[in-house]
Formats: sequence, C-alpha cells, structure tokens
Amino acid sequence: MRRYVLRRVAAFVATLFAVSLLVFVVVRVLPGDPALLIMGTQGSPEATARLRHAMGLDRPLLVQYVDWLGRALRGDLGVSIQYDLPVSRLIVSRLPVTLPLALLAALFMTLTALPFGLYAATRRGRAGDYLTMIVSQLGIAVPSFWSGLLLILLFSVRLGWVPSGGFEGWSQGLGPALQSLLLPALALGFFQAAVLIRATRSAVLEVLGEDYVRTARAKGLSERRVIGRHTFRNAMIPVLTVTGVQLGQLIAGSIVLESVFALPGLGRLALGAIAARDLPVVQGVTLFMASAIIAINFVVDLAYTFLDPRIRYE
Amino acid sequence: MRRPVTSLIVLLLAVGLAATGAAAAPASSLVVQTSTEPPGLDLTASPASAIAAVVFYNIQECLVKVDAHGRLVPWLAERWHTTDNLNYTFFLRRGVRFHNGREMKAADVKFVVERAMNPETKHPHPKHYESISAIVVRDDSTITFVLKNVDAMFLWNLARQGSVIYPREAVGTLKTAPLGTGPFKFAQWMPGDRIVLERNPDYRAKGLPKLDRVTFRFIPDPNGALAALKAGDIDVSTFGLGPEHVTELRKDPRFTAIVGDTTNDVILAMNNSRKPYSDVRVRRALTYAIDRPEILKGAMFGLGRLLGTNVDPLNPYFVDLANAMPYDATKAKKLLAEAGYPNGFDTVLRVAPQYYYTVRTGEIVTNQLAKVGIRVKLEQIEWGQWLARVWKEADYDLTIIGHAEAWDIDNYANPKYYFRYDSPKFQELYRTSLQTLDDKARRELFVRMQHMLVEDAPAVWLYDYPRLLVTKKGVQGFWKDLPIPSVDLSEVSWAK
Repeated sequence: MRRYVLRRVAAFVATLFAVSLLVFVVVRVLPGDPALLIMGTQGSPEATARLRHAMGLDRPLLVQYVDWLGRALRGDLGVSIQYDLPVSRLIVSRLPVTLPLALLAALFMTLTALPFGLYAATRRGRAGDYLTMIVSQLGIAVPSFWSGLLLILLFSVRLGWVPSGGFEGWSQGLGPALQSLLLPALALGFFQAAVLIRATRSAVLEVLGEDYVRTARAKGLSERRVIGRHTFRNAMIPVLTVTGVQLGQLIAGSIVLESVFALPGLGRLALGAIAARDLPVVQGVTLFMASAIIAINFVVDLAYTFLDPRIRYE
Repeated sequence: MRRPVTSLIVLLLAVGLAATGAAAAPASSLVVQTSTEPPGLDLTASPASAIAAVVFYNIQECLVKVDAHGRLVPWLAERWHTTDNLNYTFFLRRGVRFHNGREMKAADVKFVVERAMNPETKHPHPKHYESISAIVVRDDSTITFVLKNVDAMFLWNLARQGSVIYPREAVGTLKTAPLGTGPFKFAQWMPGDRIVLERNPDYRAKGLPKLDRVTFRFIPDPNGALAALKAGDIDVSTFGLGPEHVTELRKDPRFTAIVGDTTNDVILAMNNSRKPYSDVRVRRALTYAIDRPEILKGAMFGLGRLLGTNVDPLNPYFVDLANAMPYDATKAKKLLAEAGYPNGFDTVLRVAPQYYYTVRTGEIVTNQLAKVGIRVKLEQIEWGQWLARVWKEADYDLTIIGHAEAWDIDNYANPKYYFRYDSPKFQELYRTSLQTLDDKARRELFVRMQHMLVEDAPAVWLYDYPRLLVTKKGVQGFWKDLPIPSVDLSEVSWAK
C-alpha cells in the first residue's frame, strides 16, 4: 500500500509537470498577444511593444517556462496582470465560492442519484423506472446554464426568494451565502445527477443478476436486506468511478454557472483570465484545477479498497 | 431512502422562506451592472472602456471635460487662454482636493502629463501629447503648455480618459485603488464580483454627487443581467443588454430605457491593399450591395443610427451621408462587371463573436452580398486572434467591428492602419485639419474629408452602435448620448 501511494504521488507530480508544460505552451502558441489584448485597438503599436517587453513576453519561450516553473516550485505562481495581486492569493480568495458550490452540487448529485438510481433498478420496466429514466434523460439533455436560467426565472424573478446572482461573501452570514449558492448548485447538480442515476441503475441491475443475489433471495432474506446488504455495496464500485469523473466535471461545470450567476469563483477567474490573456492566472488556475481533479481520482482509487476488500494495491 | 431527498427539499424551502427577497437598497445608493470587469483601474495604463466606465468622471477628472452634448468645457481648469495657439495657459480651479485630502496643484498636472509623455510609463497614447514641448508651472494654480506646432486636437486630448489628474504620491496604487478629484471615492473592489464607490463629501460642486454609494456589479451573461434587473437585484444596466432585451424592457412599466448615440461606428472594413478591394469600383459595389436599413433592423432591432461615413453623429462636424450611396443591387452588379468581376468572387469575412453584433451583422451582410454574386465565407475567430491577425497584420479580406473612439477619422490618414487605405490627398486634408483652429475652416475640411471617404469607399459604414441603458423607473440623471466612453454618475439620483 505504501509503495502504491508513493507510486501514485510520483505519477501525480509527473502529471502536474505535463499539465504545466501543456498549459504554458497552449496559452502561448494561441494566436493572440496578451499585450495586444490589453491595449486593444486603441493603443499605439509602440505602446503595445513596450508593454510586451515589460511583461517579459519577448523572451524565448523556454526561458519564460523555466522561469515560471522555478517560481511555481517555490510556491510563487506569479502576479496577475489584471488584478496586480499574487495568483495564489487570488485562487485562495475564490475557493470560498467554488468549493462550497461544488460540494453542495456534489451533495445534491449523490443524494438524488443514488436513491433514484436504486429505485429505478428495483422497479425495472415499471412506471417508476420509466419516469426516472425520462427525467434523467431530460437532465442530460438540458444544459446547466439553461436550467440555471430557468431556476433564476422561477426563484428569483417570480418568487423573489433568492438573489439572481452575485455573492457577498460568508461574512454576510450563512443564510445569505447559502442563498446565493443554492440555485447554481442545484443547476450544476441536476445535470450531473442525471448521469449518475443512469450509472447507478445499470450497476445495480447488473449486481441483481448475480448468483449470490439469487442465493440470498433463495435463503429467504427480505428484499430490503438483499438490496441493502448484498446489492448496493457491490454496485458501488462502478458508481464510485462515475462519481469521481462527475466530481471533476462539477469543477469544470462551475465555469459556466459562475458566469450565469455572476459568482466570483475559480471558474469565472479562469474565464476572465483567458479572455484578458492574464497568463499567470490562466496557468495558476489550470494547475490548481488539474491537481484537484487528480487528487479526487486518487481518493476514489483508495476508496475502492474500502468497498471491496479483495482490491489491494501492492 | 427518500429521507435525504426530503431533507434537501426542506433545506431548499427553509433557505427560500428565510430569504427576505432582494434587499431593497437605500434610496441614496445605486447598483449598476456592467458586463466586463475592468482590467485594473489605471486609466493611464490601459485604454479599456471597462475602466473608464467605473473611473472616468466618477473617481478621476481632467482639466477639460467633454460634456453630455460632446462640447469641451472647463473642468479642473476653470479657464485657459492662448494668444498664438502655441502657448496655452491653464488657470486651475482653486481649493480642489484629492481624495487623500491634499490640494491639487499645478505641479501635479505637470507630473501627470510628463508621465504620460514618457514612453517608459506604458501609457497607451503617448502620441496624444506629442505636440507638447514644455510644461511650465507658473504658480500653484497656473500652468503653461508650450506646443511645438499648432495642434487642433490638443484640448480634446487633454479631455481624454488617459489625461486624468491624480496626486503624484498615489501613482503606485492607480491600478488597485485610484485616487482623484471626482465626485466619488474608490471604496472597495471584490475581484470577480463588484467595485464600490462612495460619495466624496468634499466634492467642490455643491449638492453633487446625489448618490451616497454606487456599486458596480460584473454580470457577464446578458440573460443573467436581464434576470437581475427583473428580480430587482440591480438598478441599472449600462453595457451588456442586447437590443432584443431593451426592446422587451421598453414595454415594461417598471423600467426606463435610454437609447442614444455613441461614438462607436460599426463598419465593414475592406483590405484596401488586397485584390479585389484595391479597386475602388469593387469597394463602391459593396457599398451599393449592402442594404443598411435591413441590417439595422435584423441585427439591432432597429436601434442605432445609419452611417454613411466615419464621423459619428455626436461629432460637431458630423454630416449625415447615410443616403449618399443607398442600396442599389443593379448598380453594384454593374460596377463589379466594370471591375472585371461579372460573376462576382469568393471572399472571407472574419468576425469576432466576443462582439455579438459583428456576427449578426456578418450573417446579413453575407446574405446581401450573395445577391450580387459575391460569395462570402463567414469565419468566426476569437478576439485575441482577431487583434493579432486582422488588426495587427491586416491578414483579412473583410471584417466587421465597432470603432468606439471619438475623433478617430485619423485612422484613414494612416496607411499602415489595418484598412490599408493610402490616399495622399486624404492624408494632406487631415494634416491641414490638425493645423487649422478656425472653426469654420476646420468644419469645411471635415466636410471635405467625409465626402472624400464616401467617394473612395475604403470601408462600408454600417451603423452607429446605440447606447442601450436600462434603469429602474425613478432613476434619473444619466446622459442620453455617450460622446465619450464614461458612465458619469455625478448627477444621477432617485426621483423623489
């Protein structure tokens, strides 16, 4: 197990290194010069050239990369061009929005998907199953920015229960902060839940066809015990895999929803930075998000051993 | 199994019911939506209009101001005089204080303009101060600018957003917490969410500003902005709502829509150095082939104003030439045949979807040009690419974009500009206009330049992009037109 963890940590570092290189190169080979974007059509070519020099963009690409990587290794992700603040501070300042948003959405996703997936599987071919499948199909088909807008129209414009967007911070109290995050979390979680419902249903159905389930039933165990003890836990392995992927997608999905709900989160930071070619921020945020997703997958892998003791990492 | 779901629903309802709805802002404060978060707040480091929307005229001001009608009026300078058009002496308003409490002095003005002239400071427009040879401080409130040559744009350039006056000692914080002399003080910036300004209690004009607090909220999504307005979370939408939203909101008695003119000329630019656009007959053919009223209707819901040349309706020398070359497909075809293209030609139109109107307009243009045989391939490219390829390298046939700057006819006098329009006659006219201060003579030159542009057709001027501002009923004091990119809030208030 220890060797496995060490191996995974090494892979983690290697992946991050690859991600950093990829992000660095992609951001720079994209047509579109950051200095030009800052100056727009109204700055003179001379002023733009001076800005490019001041930003160090006229140095060879390799020199820029080594310089950036060296600093990043020391924990210095650079300074944002747009905000004139350290990138790491910007990332940390956006976490109180994105993290609770992703957690709430994940909570909503799992609390909806697992029961409904199980429900559909146990009522296979009956009305409840069809209804669940139709609703989940709808959830997959409707993009989250659209469901987000519908939620705003209903809960903010019509009913006036929650604000239509924005986030004033946790210092305003738990209630107002949760109100701001509730609709985007629902919109985000709904789409992801729809995928997970289907995954849960098929995983449970597969396990229900296993011999040991037939044996359990033949033994005269109650259906509740058959499902709860023998089926659900065994069905969890593929469900967990999908959940891991979905959690990664929650982080990606927050980029769109943070724009619709005007939330000052990590996704919006990344989007704004890409548009403004705020390279240090684009690199820093991508590196951070990549680490988060790799870390989630790592945790998911470890969780397999708890679900199925036969799985051992040597 | 159903319990977790039930708890979630209960939580949702509880939070919902606990909500008091959108907290009603006190009458002396205003929440203004803007779509783009400013890239820093330093007007002397970037020409971005998102910075001007927050800072210009609200936090920082200039010696001279462009008023709501596009006229130059004395501002931080109470008057100026010149006898030879080479030495301009400005008399500063006395007792004007910066937000840090210190009195504004002539030495500040000298510092600010010399800093703008210094290429090392990365000011986006050192060219605006090129004609200045010396700045002499006479006393604390008198300052003389000595010019190398007569410059008809000198005063106007001192009124631009890059010429704002700030205290010398605050130059280090211009980007994050700007100080100035304006009616509002910078209070707070929550990156990604909002910028808050507070009333400057020491503002020199009595009774101004009328608001105690202004919050700029960044809502990038137009539908999000519309919902926020309808939910009562914002009081004003400045930039960001499309013409379709404004058309809808105009019918709603809860809101007031202001549709005015701007200096933003939306044009179909042609690469004058590239075949077939190097032939004036082809350029004229395109002008005749384009039905501008139909474009305005289709792309902008009829909001905006038709243009015929590159001087916007807010310029004092504007001549309405929108009908100088009206839509005439037969004439267009004839001109194309004369130029050797009886069967039309293939061409590429590059637009950047960051500006939604360029795509909508481009689709209609493509359709209209097809009717005279010009087969247009509409190519959407990202804004960064557009700047690098079209604007910087002039690697394009056709493009659509809005030129937002006031007094930007000089672009046509620059053969290296991406239009690649090289007319020595036009360049001479423009140079003369810069040396001409007599209003009548200068007007005459501007009229000639405008007619010449129509004749030479280096671009097709489509429409003046409208100012689209929507407020809650009861908000008053906004400018109708935008002769300069600013959201002047000094006189904005709630009706009693």
